[in-house]
Amino acid sequence: MSGVSLQKVTKVYDNGTKEGVKIIHGIDLEITQGEFVVFVGPSGCGKSTLLRMIAGLESISGGTISIEGRVVNDLAPRERDIAMVFQDYALYPHKNVFENLAFGLRLRKFSEDEIKKRVNDAAAILKIEHLLERKPRALSGGQRQRVAMGRAIVRQPKAFLFDEPLSNLDALLRSEMRTEIKKLHQRLGATTIYVTHDQVEAMTLAQRIVVLSGGNIMQVGTPDAIYNQPVSKFVAGFTGSPPMNFLQGSLGVCADTATVLLTDGVQLPLAASWLPRLAGAHGQEIEFGIRPEDIGIEAGAGFGAERAAMSGTVVVAEPLGAETLVTFACAGGEVIARMPPSVNYRPGEAATIYVDMQKCHLFDRANGVAL
Amino acid sequence: MNDRHTPTPQRSLFDRLADMNETTLAALLLAPAFIFISIIVVYPVATLVWNSFNDVRLLTGAPSRWVGLENYLLLLADAQFWRATKNTMIIVLVTVPGSLVVGLGLALLANMPFKWRGPIRLSLLLPWATPLAFVGLIFAWFFHSEYGVFNDLLRRLGLAPQIWFNSPTLTMMAICIATIWKTSSFMALILLAGLQTIPKSLYEAADVDGASKWRQFTDITLPLLVPSMLVALIFRTLTAIQSFDIPYSMPGPGEETQTLAMYIHMNAVDYLDLGYSSALAVVMFGLSMATTFIYLRYVKADGK
Repeated sequence: MSGVSLQKVTKVYDNGTKEGVKIIHGIDLEITQGEFVVFVGPSGCGKSTLLRMIAGLESISGGTISIEGRVVNDLAPRERDIAMVFQDYALYPHKNVFENLAFGLRLRKFSEDEIKKRVNDAAAILKIEHLLERKPRALSGGQRQRVAMGRAIVRQPKAFLFDEPLSNLDALLRSEMRTEIKKLHQRLGATTIYVTHDQVEAMTLAQRIVVLSGGNIMQVGTPDAIYNQPVSKFVAGFTGSPPMNFLQGSLGVCADTATVLLTDGVQLPLAASWLPRLAGAHGQEIEFGIRPEDIGIEAGAGFGAERAAMSGTVVVAEPLGAETLVTFACAGGEVIARMPPSVNYRPGEAATIYVDMQKCHLFDRANGVAL
Repeated sequence: MNDRHTPTPQRSLFDRLADMNETTLAALLLAPAFIFISIIVVYPVATLVWNSFNDVRLLTGAPSRWVGLENYLLLLADAQFWRATKNTMIIVLVTVPGSLVVGLGLALLANMPFKWRGPIRLSLLLPWATPLAFVGLIFAWFFHSEYGVFNDLLRRLGLAPQIWFNSPTLTMMAICIATIWKTSSFMALILLAGLQTIPKSLYEAADVDGASKWRQFTDITLPLLVPSMLVALIFRTLTAIQSFDIPYSMPGPGEETQTLAMYIHMNAVDYLDLGYSSALAVVMFGLSMATTFIYLRYVKADGK
């Protein structure tokens, strides 16, 4: 069953001109009931606006938004039966935690017993039972975050909307709360739309990721699909930490072989499986993409279609404990490689690196579309 | 070079200050402010209190004479003092809540997102920037029995025009209306500043939670505006207790609508009775202090 459905949704801001500024360009998206979907993209891509349009906090200029089959275009936020967790938590500062959680229930005329039961249940789930009497200013950032989530879950709404809820927390707390949110979704199974600019949050939380840019959907897919089969250079560069490496080059395609020609005369042979896709692409200018974990320093099974060697110079090595990130200068650019912690490189040292050609990505340099 | 011939460098003022012990330094740094406040606040207030215990009548030419509590006993038995106090209290009790309500309305209006918000906010400043005596004179004309705009309005509504300044009650009404007009903009400015500190996301959260606009006002705006209201009320109440210019420019019959400040002025300036007027002023000072104290207790209780 459909949880939230967007059809040709647009948003135009009035800027005095006749046509205005269009910031959401006809979004089509089906979110099934109980699904956890993450909107991700750089700042200004329209992800928060889109979420606020679903919440009813922003009007929509065109298209249709439905929640569980009911068109909500012209309904006020309170009539949409959704709950939202705000970036700054938006807790009522003069009400204690209990009253913050109870406010929405009181407005909906729940009985006092039911309110107590629901608030206590939510507090138990979020482990904030001991904080019910406190005012928000007496809470830490993480506790406020829990209260904000509590306020959403007491209402048992049709959909949960999260607007960058973790961006005000420090790194440690953020990863802790990320886990909490995931557990919460597994427990409640409610339709959830989560907005973030942090690709780690997107990858870890989402069942499906919606990558947005400039008010358009770039790609919708599972975290695995977004990571391993990006449809464009934009999506590829947005996921992964550190992100995918890109080197400029061109294609050399013959009848039975295909090669990536990088600057400085570096040639990388492509696997035979690429051939059908590259017909007639000889000479095309491309960006060669390779993830840091697909670069190695050992020859492995040998050269050929699967692994290709490049010589480079070590620029910098950054040990992270479990791994070491090494930046190499090669083929007219720089690539970051994820290396075992045992590597011991000095800056300026010459090295041969191996690229897993089965995992490489090719993008049209002109429009960034994956080949 | 021989070290013994090197002259000891002149120690700078800062070096010498740094060597001083902390208490001396603190006293030295506070001294200018202390002296300044002593001259402009402590000395006049002390003189006032001293005079209130003396018979200082400049008209008689007699030297001032210690009379103890006599001035205070005199004022307790003075009907004119009680009338002036009553008038002052009426102005406080009518114009303070009045300007709070009108000011809140103006602040809410000026806080709404609409095209002409800038000019509206600017026009809010206008009554605030107008001199008090000027407002009194303008409103004295508004309420003029022959040419006044209020009587014109009454006539248009088919009601009988009034001779406003012939009746103490009508005069007090006119004074209160003029005072509320003049002081609401100040209230509005403070409340507008308070409104702007309330995060927009609270209203959005309440919207999602299901609160109507009215519930948002009663459950978010009002409680969060309490600190600003208290500040505005302290200032407003103090100026209301000291009401002078507007009632002075809009006199009613005889001295029926005299305020405490006007009565002090009459005794000090017209009768040159500095002893008695000082005692009156001490009473007014006490009222102001008590008001401030009560409000501050509220502010403290609110902060807990």
